[in-house]
Amino acid sequence: MKALLTTLTLMAMTTTFAQVPKASTTRTTFHRETSVSTTIKADEAIIWALLTNASDYPRWNSTVTSIQGNIALGEKIVLKSTLDAKRSFKLKVKEFEPTKRLVWGDGKGRRTYLLKSNGDGTVTFTMHERIGGLMFPMYARYIPPFDESFDRFAADLKKESELIQGNTR
Amino acid sequence: MEVSTLTTEFERCRPALKSYLLRITANKQDAEDIVQETWIRAERSLENFKGDSSVKTWLFAIAQNIARDHLRSLKRWPEDVGDIFREAGMKDPDFMREAMAIRHTSPQGQFEIREHIAFCFTCVSRSLPLEQQLALMLKEVYEFTAKEIATIMETNEAMVKYYLHTGRGKMIDVFDRRCALINKEGVCHQCTELNGIFNPKQNAQEEAVKIQMVRDAAKKDKEHLFDLRMVVMKELDPFTSAAAELQLHHLEFDRKVMEQHPTQA
Repeated sequence: MKALLTTLTLMAMTTTFAQVPKASTTRTTFHRETSVSTTIKADEAIIWALLTNASDYPRWNSTVTSIQGNIALGEKIVLKSTLDAKRSFKLKVKEFEPTKRLVWGDGKGRRTYLLKSNGDGTVTFTMHERIGGLMFPMYARYIPPFDESFDRFAADLKKESELIQGNTR
Repeated sequence: MEVSTLTTEFERCRPALKSYLLRITANKQDAEDIVQETWIRAERSLENFKGDSSVKTWLFAIAQNIARDHLRSLKRWPEDVGDIFREAGMKDPDFMREAMAIRHTSPQGQFEIREHIAFCFTCVSRSLPLEQQLALMLKEVYEFTAKEIATIMETNEAMVKYYLHTGRGKMIDVFDRRCALINKEGVCHQCTELNGIFNPKQNAQEEAVKIQMVRDAAKKDKEHLFDLRMVVMKELDPFTSAAAELQLHHLEFDRKVMEQHPTQA
């Protein structure tokens, strides 16, 4: 009985841990890449709406202070993040494939959001950022790690999407 | 469906359709014109109605389609729009003179705080992005389901849920911060101020507590207070209520103020 309870507890813990997004980072001399992925139980249209409504970000996303501009193909946006509160990131929306793929970036970095329907009412959300270039070794140490911010972004998106999906008012 | 059935259904839906259009356009003439155009288009396309939705949903979808481009061309209003109206009204002697004349001569010239609550929501909801305002009105005031709203707005249920969630959340936040009827720290006292002007013999606070939303304010349940605000909206028809002419005069003045306001340039 005790063994069974231990097994069930471990299974429950594993399930819980599996639901918490965990980012990972890889480094080379000229690049750094951070990724996070999570499964979201919501329609991809809801997740897409959250990802593409610039003015709404600060309401649900604890890592974004503001986004000015229109998140649409070819548009320029100005993003302020809690990661570096003093800086404004001027970015261009480079790819925009509704409910599937969104990419924005500048000369130094490129962030990709991917949504993949799993066919069971869930969506796999992946966020990936690649920064770097030939000059990267010179400024790499000034760029803070993204992992924690990525974890929070994915967790916030999951929480808000599932809240909206489940809202039957 | 026979034309006679459509006529009956149209007349049954007309009051709700007309009040919805007034609340989303803030323009009495536009609302009346769109209702007429809706009838013309519905009759013309009667054979296209397959019964996939209710007639009411179909008629609202036609009206929404007519209004859509016009609404998209209009600037949204700021959430402190009441402050702008107050300042403009105080500077314009004609506005108050006309309003007083309506108050004293029109059978629909009464001033009631609950009427102003509905009027205020019509104005403040224009600070939401258009899709959120439309979805919120259709759900909370006209009691359509998410599926029906998706049909009316030509979108999907997921987006409707997003619009409703964000729109409702923003309105709850705005009224919680601004409305002195539900929050002692609220900065807007316009309804009780106007009650003092139009009904000088009344005690505004006594009038306010006749409204359930005001009585329940102490419970501080923001969702519940918003639901009660929506009850007020549902109970009032802006074209037929005892305060209709006075409130329509206010709305016409306010819309013209906003058309000239720097935020709309």
